[in-house]
Amino acid sequence: MNVLGIETSCDETAAAVVSEGRVVESSVVSSQIDLHARYGGVVPEIAGRAHVELLVPAVEEAMARAGIERPDAVAATYGPGLVGSLLVGLSAAKGLAMSWGVPFVGVNHLEGHLFAPVIEEPSLRWPLVVLLVSGGHTLLVHAAAPGRYRLLGQTLDDAAGEAFDKVARFLGLGYPGGPAIDRVAKEGDPAAFTFPRAMLGDGYDFSFSGLKTAVVRAVERRPEAATPDVAAAFQDAVVDVLVTKAARAVRATGARGLCLGGGVAANSLLRRRALEAVDVPTYLPSMAMCTDNAAMVAAAGSFRLLRDGPSPLSLAPDPGLFLEFER
Amino acid sequence: MLLGIETAAGLVGVALADADGPLAGVWLRGDRRHAETLGPAVEHVLTQAGASLADVDAVAVDVGPGLFTGLRVGVATAQGLAAGLGLGVVEVTSVDVLAQEVYDGGWEGPVAAVVDARRAEVFVASYEEPGVQTEAPSRQSPETLAGRLAGAPGTLLVGTGAHRYAALFAGAGLRVAAIREPSPRVLVSIAAGRLAAGAAPVPAAAVRPVYLREADARINWVQR
Ligand SMILES: [Zn+2]
Repeated sequence: MNVLGIETSCDETAAAVVSEGRVVESSVVSSQIDLHARYGGVVPEIAGRAHVELLVPAVEEAMARAGIERPDAVAATYGPGLVGSLLVGLSAAKGLAMSWGVPFVGVNHLEGHLFAPVIEEPSLRWPLVVLLVSGGHTLLVHAAAPGRYRLLGQTLDDAAGEAFDKVARFLGLGYPGGPAIDRVAKEGDPAAFTFPRAMLGDGYDFSFSGLKTAVVRAVERRPEAATPDVAAAFQDAVVDVLVTKAARAVRATGARGLCLGGGVAANSLLRRRALEAVDVPTYLPSMAMCTDNAAMVAAAGSFRLLRDGPSPLSLAPDPGLFLEFER
Repeated sequence: MLLGIETAAGLVGVALADADGPLAGVWLRGDRRHAETLGPAVEHVLTQAGASLADVDAVAVDVGPGLFTGLRVGVATAQGLAAGLGLGVVEVTSVDVLAQEVYDGGWEGPVAAVVDARRAEVFVASYEEPGVQTEAPSRQSPETLAGRLAGAPGTLLVGTGAHRYAALFAGAGLRVAAIREPSPRVLVSIAAGRLAAGAAPVPAAAVRPVYLREADARINWVQR
């Protein structure tokens, strides 16, 4: 079964074909980073307009690379995300499914991220603890099996990636902030500052807004401080909290593996520390699978289609869609 | 057969036309859930007409100007349908549809199609006679438009913007037609006429909504 996946929840316009629920036949991502860079963040109206221009070429490219004329189903992200972006991919997916006479299935973007290891690391044994960290989300999830999730914790304010973007902007390092800070921090001394680790010993929830404020105050106090030192100390604080809580979750739940996902999972310090922190197998997604892509949407869509059947054509975008709890 | 999609205003509409003219249609006004209602509406119209997408030769869509969210639902759906079927798309503007319906009703004078653009502005295009646009769509304040048209009192106004500012236009001695939203039946008729006259549809990937307003952030950037 070939499933065409479509992903337009934020600033990536993506299409992919996945067969047998996990074999990537093609995966195309048209990034809009250049369109948003001058604003220092994703501008919703610009993203919505760009999706309209980029989506059909991405779909045609994905179909051509997979060498198929018609998939067996079309899957598209219907939330969470920017509503003006979601509805472009969702509407086009419905039109495509109708035109081919194949089922349409809506996919929860967060569940899509949880299917990255299904694609890249099929040897991984469930249950898993998944740390999902990006510009839009920061979640710690216990996944007993595909479709059976329990939320352990989440951010109470800024997402981890948002903290990277805001601190990078403050330090004049540009957008997106994650890769910029990762690069600069390599030349810095993380011990030059000691930034707060919010709620470190306390449950599985996260808070990053205070950290950003602490960075601003520290630089105001020591304006002569080297930017690489500030970046390294900031990154150290974020990674410390993420890894400490993820490792504790693995131990507490008896999970057989730890997975990273989302754009922040591309951070080199986070990847290194995650490997060292647990003695169960750790899945570190490839760069292409960290960031938003449609292969993960097609894989999750394949699973949902087999388990729950197709979605109705009346499915609406749901910007605040949450990951379903274990039933 | 031609399939038309209308979502540029507060109305979700679908219509089919064959060589004899409009064949079937459905429209829903007032609930602005375009993304939820459009797909089922397409299926409903096809079923009621005893047709299938295999019978469709081209897809027509209202590309605006209008409300951005609704426009993108219609355009993206038309793109998906056309790309999957390997068909072209006929782009029709909302103002052309509005003006045509007035002329279909027997009006013979000049027409101003006026679409509500929110933020105290309207999108407007002018017509001298059926199919003859004398002023391309632009964005302006209703006061400016009323002042301009006061010198041409024979102009009939049509569209959501004409209705929203009806009192202002009446005060300037202008008449407003009963029609508010573009009609999917008229949209599909215009598209069929253009195809019959030899116009070439555009590829699905090339369809672009007519926004007539910079994206929000860009405006802020310029003003900063
Ligand atoms: Zn994501």
